Parts: sequence; structure tokens; C-alpha cells
Amino acid sequence: MLPSLDVEKVKKEILDSQIWRSMFRGGVWKDTPRDRASHIIGNVWLHLHPVRARPRALEWTYTWGLGGISFVLFLILTVTGVLLMFYYRPTIDLAYRDMKDLEFAITLGKLFRNMHRWAAQAMVVAVIAHMVRVFLTGSYKKPREFNWGVGVLLLTLTLFLSFTGYLLPWDQLAIWAVTVGTNMAAASPGLGNEGPFGSLMGMRINNDIRFVLLGGTMVGENTLLRFYVMHCVAVPLLVGILLIVHFWRVRKDSFSAAPYNSAEEKLEVWPHLVKREYIAAAGCLLFIMLWSILMDAPLEVQANPNVTPNPSKAPWYFVGLQELLVYFDPWIAGVILPNLIIVGLMALPYIDTNPKGVGYYTWKERPFANAQFMLGVVLWFVLIYIGYYCRGPNFFWYWPWESWLDPKPAPPPTWSVFGPVIPNCAWPGQPAAAGQPPCDSLFPIWMGLPLVGLAFAASMALPKMIKAEIESKKAHIAFFAVMILAVAAGKLLGKMTLLQGGWLLFFGYLHFYFGFLLPQRHIRNLDWARYLVTMFLVICTTGVLLKMCARLAFDIKYLITIPQISMNI
Amino acid sequence: MSDSTTSASPAMPAPAKAASVSRGDFLWLGWTMLAGFIGASAAASARFFFPNVIYEPSQRFNAGPAKGFDLGVSTKWANEQRVWIVRTEQGFYALWARCTHLGCTPNWFSDQSRFKCPCHGSNFNLGGDVIAGPAPKPLLRAKIELAATGDLIIDKAVLENTPGKRDTAPFFVEYA
Repeated sequence: MLPSLDVEKVKKEILDSQIWRSMFRGGVWKDTPRDRASHIIGNVWLHLHPVRARPRALEWTYTWGLGGISFVLFLILTVTGVLLMFYYRPTIDLAYRDMKDLEFAITLGKLFRNMHRWAAQAMVVAVIAHMVRVFLTGSYKKPREFNWGVGVLLLTLTLFLSFTGYLLPWDQLAIWAVTVGTNMAAASPGLGNEGPFGSLMGMRINNDIRFVLLGGTMVGENTLLRFYVMHCVAVPLLVGILLIVHFWRVRKDSFSAAPYNSAEEKLEVWPHLVKREYIAAAGCLLFIMLWSILMDAPLEVQANPNVTPNPSKAPWYFVGLQELLVYFDPWIAGVILPNLIIVGLMALPYIDTNPKGVGYYTWKERPFANAQFMLGVVLWFVLIYIGYYCRGPNFFWYWPWESWLDPKPAPPPTWSVFGPVIPNCAWPGQPAAAGQPPCDSLFPIWMGLPLVGLAFAASMALPKMIKAEIESKKAHIAFFAVMILAVAAGKLLGKMTLLQGGWLLFFGYLHFYFGFLLPQRHIRNLDWARYLVTMFLVICTTGVLLKMCARLAFDIKYLITIPQISMNI
Repeated sequence: MSDSTTSASPAMPAPAKAASVSRGDFLWLGWTMLAGFIGASAAASARFFFPNVIYEPSQRFNAGPAKGFDLGVSTKWANEQRVWIVRTEQGFYALWARCTHLGCTPNWFSDQSRFKCPCHGSNFNLGGDVIAGPAPKPLLRAKIELAATGDLIIDKAVLENTPGKRDTAPFFVEYA
């Protein structure tokens, strides 16, 4: 007969032993409210929690655990990243070889690399979803404005960590993503040699911001080392510091969740919240492990600085940006727009004066903020979809059901609206006489600057200038009547095909609804300063849509081009 | 030594009373200067990130005998040197195969007589001028010389894309 084991007795002996007591403060555990509180307060890891929290804050369907999951993924990335560092050497002779070794020669090497890659992708998703959740529950409003800003920085750094990590395998995907990314930096106004005013300010390929990022004039040995140091040391340290601030402010500003009713009792964080966190963490870890067992991280052929794969695509979360680069000059799509997104997001809590909708999901009480924010989020993912699924060889537009092997006609020549007018030139489509230069712009620059400036200023100011609320139904009827008449006239005069008219109607409506009707209805009474900042962000968003329409439907390259200072919009 | 502040001779003019500096002002000034010094030092240290010596491959290469190239675009050196050598009726020029948009390598499609970039879809014609897509400037042409041996010597460190300039020496070699 086996000797019976008295589990309770053993447990008691362990818990009452001097070793256990010295490790965990608090004396004998009697599971009283005081014990549960001191379990939180007395533990260095748990003390960033409050002792008690509102019931809503503990609902899965309120937070979806997204912030916690992001943090767990960061921890998984830290551990697997440190493991990979034991074998990986950041030189162009060895890096790719070490990746192959990790994949084929090192026990568990493939699994850890897979986990690192998939957790990184999952972290991007989790952080974006966390931000959307925080936005929709109004959790960025007073007194949490600052922490929202910290969160925006953390999102930016998450993307930057992904970007720097992308180079390290030294495969074709890596080198070309980083070539494109760093060339965007070279297009920064005033900081890069290819951007507006760059050459005026004495920027060359060996003294501008790209030179610093690359440690040279091309992606090479120095670049790999620099990205390695940023990826493994510098940026994670920065993220760690910001995470501490982020958690601290969540604790100090208290959870945003609104009470269900004024008389409700708060729940104890131990065990209710901490238990949920452990479940989320365990689920997350298992999910990443399973994913990594079932699916291998991609590794293309070794980097070749002379040959670009066709088509060449960024990692999926940057494909939206890549798609924007098709429509805009690099300094706009790669520098101005991303910075506007970051600064605009950070400015949100200060321009949104609506006090309602903090701590619960509501569309009715904050229709304007939600609509504009979700327009931005949806636009980001639509751009990703287009870039990922609708772009084939030579980055030509292929519908998802079309084969990339189908030959496509060469894309038609493009033209600009305002810019240098070349006398006696041939327009695209017209047969050019010998020696006749191709046309570039329709109207001269001196006409374009005031006209475009005026149109932008008018779009910004108009909704506030109209004092009485415009009736939505009448406005819609008027808009569609005018637009359909214009399209019909264009069709009859042979200036426009129906497809072009359709694009114009679609994008024009988005601009009309989000850039005019909604602001007119909801924010015309906002003070001028906040109003103008809001409208600037709104018009920039719809402006992106209008420029896409101009390129996709009418082959317009630039609205204005001033080649002398590399200024093209 | 006599204590000058207490026993100043009456014949000498009394020293002008120094403007009094409070302890708070003095400390504020001191700390501000220290912060300024550290901040300026940190800013100046940015220079550390600009390497003074870089070890990159030479941009100059020998493309072989000129008589070995047929009329049209040669992709012979595209993979190794990232250069297309174009022979026209009049002579040679060398196009640097780097898209002026964001630096990817375009591909040559002889059937459409276009260079097309795989990254964002820019199209260039035989002369390197932009036809479609987002590239803002024509492709750059590299310095090209005909050596006494009959070889073409190409230098990618010297580049030009301005119409006119790019069509004459040293960016164009006459060759019949």
C-alpha cells in the first residue's frame, strides 16, 4: 500500500516555513480582505495595480485585455530575442548564415525565431487594437491625456522596433525594406539630401540624416550593426522606460471604466483582475507557441544590394504607407503624413472637448470623434489591403482574382495640374512630333499656389462659417445632383469615362461627408484654435483620399510641382 | 594682511557696492549653466554618429570593350554594378539603376521599352525620364569614358540627370 500524502499538511509546512515567509511578506494567509489587499501592495510586481477596481474594468468586453496582451508579447519578444542573440552575429558575411543555422542546425532555433517573428506581428496588432479600444471608450480624456500621448509614443516605438528588426535576417525582404525606409528619411525637408530645401541647406549623401541611419551611403555593414544596436538595446530600453511611465499613470489616473451604477461595490483586484491577467498571458503564450509550431517565419534569399525582388513589399503593417508612397512624394507620404498621424493622435485629447463617453462604449454621445478616428483606422487598413492584395509585378494594380502572370499594358503617362508649363509640348495620348517635348503641367505655378491655398483654407473654414446646421437629407440630394450632372456633362463632352466619374463620386462623397458635413454638424461651435487644428487633420485625411482619386482615375501626378526646390504635392 | 573690506583707507574711494545676488538666483544660474553645458555637449555628440571613414566598394569599374555592346540597353552589368549601358546610334551612356523615388532597382522591359520599378511602380523611358508613377526625377546617368584600350570606364560617384548636361561628356561617349 502506498503511503498517503497529506497535501494540505505539506502545503501548510511550506507556507509557514521560514524560507517562504522571508520571500513573501504578510504573515499567515487567511484570505481576508486585508490579506488580499496586502498581496497587491506588498509585491513589487503587483503593486502597480490598485487594490480594488470597478466591475466594468474587469469585464473582458471592456478592455479585451489588449494592453496586458501587448505587454505579454513584449515579454515574449524580450526572452526569445535574448535567446536569438546567443547565436546571431550582425555582420553581412555571417548574419544570413546564422539565420540558416538557427533554422536548420540549432535545436529549437527555428521555434524561437518563429516565436520572435510572430509575437512581433501580434504585438503590432495588439497595440493598434489597444489604441482603438482606448479611443472608443474615451479613456484618453481628462485626466488621462498625458498617458494617451505616452501610448502613442509606445505605438511608434513598437513599429520602429519591428522596422529595425526587419533588417537583421539580411535577406532580400530586409535590405529593400530598409533601403526604402531610409531613403524616405533622405527625403525629409531640411534633413535629407533629396528632400525639399535639402540641397539649398548643403545636404549631401554623406552628411544628411540617411547617412547617420545607415552609417554610410548604402545599406551595408555599418547599417546592420546600427540597426542591431537600436533593435536589441537602445529602443527596448526606451520602450521599457515608457512602459513604466505608462503603467504608473494608468495606476495614478485610475482605470477609466465608468460605474454601472452609483451604488456599486468595487471588486478586489486580487484575485479577480490578476487572475484574468494570468489567463490572458497564458493564452497568449500558448497561441504564439502553437502558431510558431504550425507556421514558419519567412526567410527570403540572401540580401543583394543590386537586385530588387519584383514586386517588393514592406511588412504588412507598413504596406499602407508603401501604398501612400505611390500617390505622394516621399517627403509627404514618408515624413509629413506619418508625423502628422503621430502628432495628431497626441493632440486628440486636447482638441476633443466633449466631456461625454468616458469609460464605456458609445457612438451616439461622440459621433464626430468616433467617425473621424475610425475613418483613419479603416483607411489605414484599406491601404494595407490594396498594397498587399491589389499590387502585382512592377507594383501595377492587379485585382486579387487576376493572375500576376497576365501581361498588363504599360501604365499611362501622368501629368500635373500646376507646374512648369512647357510651350509647344505633346500631351499624353497625342502623337508627338519629332523633338516635341512631352507635356508636364496644365497651368503655371503662380496660378496654382494661391488657388490651392485658397481651396485648402476654404475647406477648413467653411463648415464653421455656416452658422445654421445644414439638413443632412437636402445636402445629400444637392451633392449627388451636382456631382451626377458634372459626371454626365464630362461624359457627354468626352472628357470623362463613367469609371472615372464613379471614382470621382466615391472619393468626392467621402470628402463631402467627412470633410464638410460632419464637421459642420458637430464642431462648428468649437473655439477657433481647436477647430482649426481639428479641421487641418480632417482635411489632410480627406485630401489623401482626393489625391488617390486624382491619381487612380485621372493619372494626375501632382497638384502642384515646383521642381526647383523639389516641392511636389 | 589687512582686511581690505573693513579697514579701507578713507583716502581711497569706497568700492561700489556689488549688486546683491540672492542664493536662489545664484543656484538657478549655476544649475541652468550646467544643464546648458550638458545639453550642448549631448547635441554636439551627434557628430559621433557621422562616420569619418566608410568602407564601401569603389564606384568605378571597367565595363569591358565598347565594341562588345549592341544597340539598345545592355543589362550585362545590372546585377553586379547596378548600371545599364545604353548604346545609341551616336554613342554610349550609363544609367545608374537606382530609382529616384526610393532607391529600388528597376527592371528593363524591352517589349515596352521601359524601366519599371518593383517598389512603387515608377516607369522610365530609355533616356531615364519619368513616364508614370511617383518618381520625382529622371534616372541618373553615371560618368562614362572610353579608355585608350577601347574599354568603357564607368564612375557611379559622378552623376547627372539634367537634360542637356547629361547628354554631353563626361556623361556621354560618342561612338559610331
